[in-house]
Amino acid sequence: MTAAPIRDVVVAGGGLLGWSAAAALRRKLPALRVTVLSLAPPPDALVERIASTLPSIVEFHGDIGLDNREVLLRAGCGLRLGTEFDGWNGDRAAYVHAYDRYGQPFGTASFHIHWVREAKLGSTPPFDSYSPAAAMARAGRFVLPEADPASPLAHFGFGLALDPVAYPQMLRAYALHLGAVERPGGLAGVQLRGADGFIEALTLDDGSLLAADLFVDCTGPRALLRGTLDQAFEDWSQWIPCDRLLFADAPASADPSPLDRCIAHDAGWRWVAEGRVRTSHGLAYASADLDDDQAADLLRRAAGIAPDAPVGIRQGRRPEPWLRNCVAIGDAATMVEPLEWTNLHLAHNAIDRLVAMMPDRDCAAVELWDYNRQCAAETDRVRDFLALHYAASSRDAPLWRRLRETAPPTSLAHTLRLFAERGRMPFYEEETFTRDSWLAVLLGQGVIPRRTDPLIDVVPRLESERAMAALREGIDRLVPKLPTQAEFLNILQRQAVR
Amino acid sequence: MTAQRVVIVGGGTAGWMTAAALAKLLPGRCTVHLVESEAIGIVGVGEATLPHIRAFNERLGIAEADFMAATRATFKLGIEFRDWGRQGDSYIHPFGTFGPGGAAIDFHQFWLRLRQSGAAVPDLDRFSMACTMARMNRFALPTADPHQLTGSFGYAYQFDATLFGPYLRTIAERMGAKRTEGRIVAVNRDGESGDILSIQLESGEVIEGDLFVDCSGFISLLLGKTLEEPFEDWSKWLPADRAVAMPCRTEGAVTPFTSAIAMPAGWRWRIPLQHRTGNGYVYSSAFTSDDEAADALARVVEGEPIASPRVLRFVAGRRARSWVHNCVGIGLASGFLEPLESTSIYLIQAAITALLELFPDKEISAVDRDEFNRLIDLEYDRIRDFLILHYHATERADTPFWDYVRTMPIPNSLAEKLELFRRRGRVVKYREGVFLDASWIAVYLGQRVIPEGHDMRADAPPAESLIAGMRKLGADIEGIAAVMEDHAAYLKRYCPMKEAA
Repeated sequence: MTAAPIRDVVVAGGGLLGWSAAAALRRKLPALRVTVLSLAPPPDALVERIASTLPSIVEFHGDIGLDNREVLLRAGCGLRLGTEFDGWNGDRAAYVHAYDRYGQPFGTASFHIHWVREAKLGSTPPFDSYSPAAAMARAGRFVLPEADPASPLAHFGFGLALDPVAYPQMLRAYALHLGAVERPGGLAGVQLRGADGFIEALTLDDGSLLAADLFVDCTGPRALLRGTLDQAFEDWSQWIPCDRLLFADAPASADPSPLDRCIAHDAGWRWVAEGRVRTSHGLAYASADLDDDQAADLLRRAAGIAPDAPVGIRQGRRPEPWLRNCVAIGDAATMVEPLEWTNLHLAHNAIDRLVAMMPDRDCAAVELWDYNRQCAAETDRVRDFLALHYAASSRDAPLWRRLRETAPPTSLAHTLRLFAERGRMPFYEEETFTRDSWLAVLLGQGVIPRRTDPLIDVVPRLESERAMAALREGIDRLVPKLPTQAEFLNILQRQAVR
Repeated sequence: MTAQRVVIVGGGTAGWMTAAALAKLLPGRCTVHLVESEAIGIVGVGEATLPHIRAFNERLGIAEADFMAATRATFKLGIEFRDWGRQGDSYIHPFGTFGPGGAAIDFHQFWLRLRQSGAAVPDLDRFSMACTMARMNRFALPTADPHQLTGSFGYAYQFDATLFGPYLRTIAERMGAKRTEGRIVAVNRDGESGDILSIQLESGEVIEGDLFVDCSGFISLLLGKTLEEPFEDWSKWLPADRAVAMPCRTEGAVTPFTSAIAMPAGWRWRIPLQHRTGNGYVYSSAFTSDDEAADALARVVEGEPIASPRVLRFVAGRRARSWVHNCVGIGLASGFLEPLESTSIYLIQAAITALLELFPDKEISAVDRDEFNRLIDLEYDRIRDFLILHYHATERADTPFWDYVRTMPIPNSLAEKLELFRRRGRVVKYREGVFLDASWIAVYLGQRVIPEGHDMRADAPPAESLIAGMRKLGADIEGIAAVMEDHAAYLKRYCPMKEAA
């Protein structure tokens, strides 16, 4: 027997996340009536505050019918190709994690095996010099990926640097255009149904009730709806340590760099991310190792401006983001430091999953189980990827030593063990970051496999060296001819006018 | 670095596949020495394969037509299941997708939506290129683009496993693998580490090695007998423990698919090769006797039997670990799952691939061993659930055997999958694993696990355009298949076996 289908959905949260969820639901499941309770997002909702995003945002836009060119031209978005990590790996040079292929497989082994063999036996330029996007990012250049798979510029993805004002406005307008209904007001309470503990309705501050079959909680870390059902939380602070964040916005540069920078400091790290409307500076730190005044001072000296008031975060996730008829998305489900910019990415994937897995009104346990299982698998691997930056660091300070001495989560320990032994990357389901991303960070941080994979034996070293040199030369020839970000956006603008 | 001495015990399909792969892909790193005894003989039941075998052959540089001619092979587009959900039912588990591949929403969701709204929609089979070709006895190689119908299917082979081993032996020996004939009478181990040092043959010859690969079959000479690795018994879920095999002359069509036909206490296979048809009845000895089974098989096979019935005994399950000390079990020595979905050779291939990718140093690292065992467990566990599904998803209660499997408790991992599918046709997603979404969908629907609802996204397009689209899709598929060559004619042109002298 099938229960009645869901018809009414309330999305609580009036930031970019709430409107993104509403737009996706209306676009994909037009039979749903979607009401957005447009609560102002709290200052500690990282999904709303972090401007840098991963390439998945471009797919998300395409999927909900938003034209990415429009997003670039109308919503003030900038382009980003990757992140440079400086000071994470002791005396080694800064490395770039770009969303690209690093090298090309040839002979019988993947590219990184060739690189590892060269790195162990002689010397070879750093791993990131084999990624066209990393080279583009360093040179401040940008083009869209090419369609021809034979082109070296065919395999990279790019993220966006969001405008904190224009972007949410655009999504709001789009969701309303798709038929979502806005309900302004404040939240006064959550009414549960006696029989099964489902949420029956929200009480608003004017005393009115907002009922629905399903409630989507996009209210930020306090999870104003989902938090009334239970408070279970899995804490990750032993592996990813920053529990405080500072933000400082500086004026934009004339030709913003598509390369963000994350610079390690003794109590965490700080970032510089250049967008088109501002340059975002921030500092992530562990309060046990740095107090707020020292932190503010550190960021002020680096950014040249005074930061806003600090924001506290608690890293970890809800074991069950979806319980009964309430699903938590974004900071309400998972909170991680913004390292590698995964906050909005995880929220987008949760929205996709919600759309794809929409159950009946009874929210059957088995369907929620599958949703929660997928979210958990994905989030845990993101946690692993962030924890890797600390676990594989050789930086010398109490915090960093402490993290190095902490046993990593089982799945990360497995990855590290296998990679450090023989350069193999184990496969996990629901992986956010590609093999190349993992390799960029592992090798960038100096985790060099102890053994060289025997599958490479049949390729003579000279052959490897030649192929690798050809790759580097190709990149070196190509990159200087490409436009800068400002030049690229001008070209885009001119095409649009025509 | 000195080459490691790999000693392979047993020369059936597993042994020679392993020998050929190691000799070809890790020359210099290892020497390969295979020991087999012609007196022991091979099981060689696994005559039908999965599409993965093509990647294995390609890696070894095997030319398809040559290999098919030598092993008297036919093409295989899927497996037909007859009488499983109910007597009289028939469905095909195809190698390929329903509808064109790469869609964001699985095709069967739209199909379910129309069915549930009461629209007259043809069976799902009709929207699979592979199923349609199979039913029409046609074959052509798929094109490269999976988004096109002509690229929406895959294929495997049905071949004579007793010829595959010798074929690979030629390759392995050409690559430098050494072969010794003889029975093993003793296995010598290091008193301290427990590692295997050498094997001793009846002739008195002692063969030393650094790494031993146990391909000795059910007897599991090294892994089971010598190292005493425990066996995990899965027979409470997969109760079949015997098979009687009886090859026949082909009388019916040389079908581009394998058939698995339900029987009173199990099921029987029909595998058409170029020169004969393989038949066998897999049954549970708790529900029928060997004689009864042989009689039951003899009554239903087509054509004249070529050999007298031969009985095999086995237990479903696997060794707790496949790699212990310096010994890797590959094939039946490491575990057994009945050939219902043609996974025997696939499991051999998976183990070889894992061994190549995790090939150890002389001093074996636990990292390699643990990862190998993790990968093999994953393969076995997922196949296990898929096989149990075939038995459990039935309405049959006409024999004690079918009544047992219909009502037996099943692993939680499968119960969850089944319940999820029953709700709205959703398949638990794996990106890796041998059987992906389309396989699960084919078996669920083919065995009457009918979802109550469907994916809400499938409600978006208007019904009329969906119905028109499906009509066109069905016609396109049939049109493409209709101009393809007949399977037997294709074989005759492409890879005719050499007539027996």
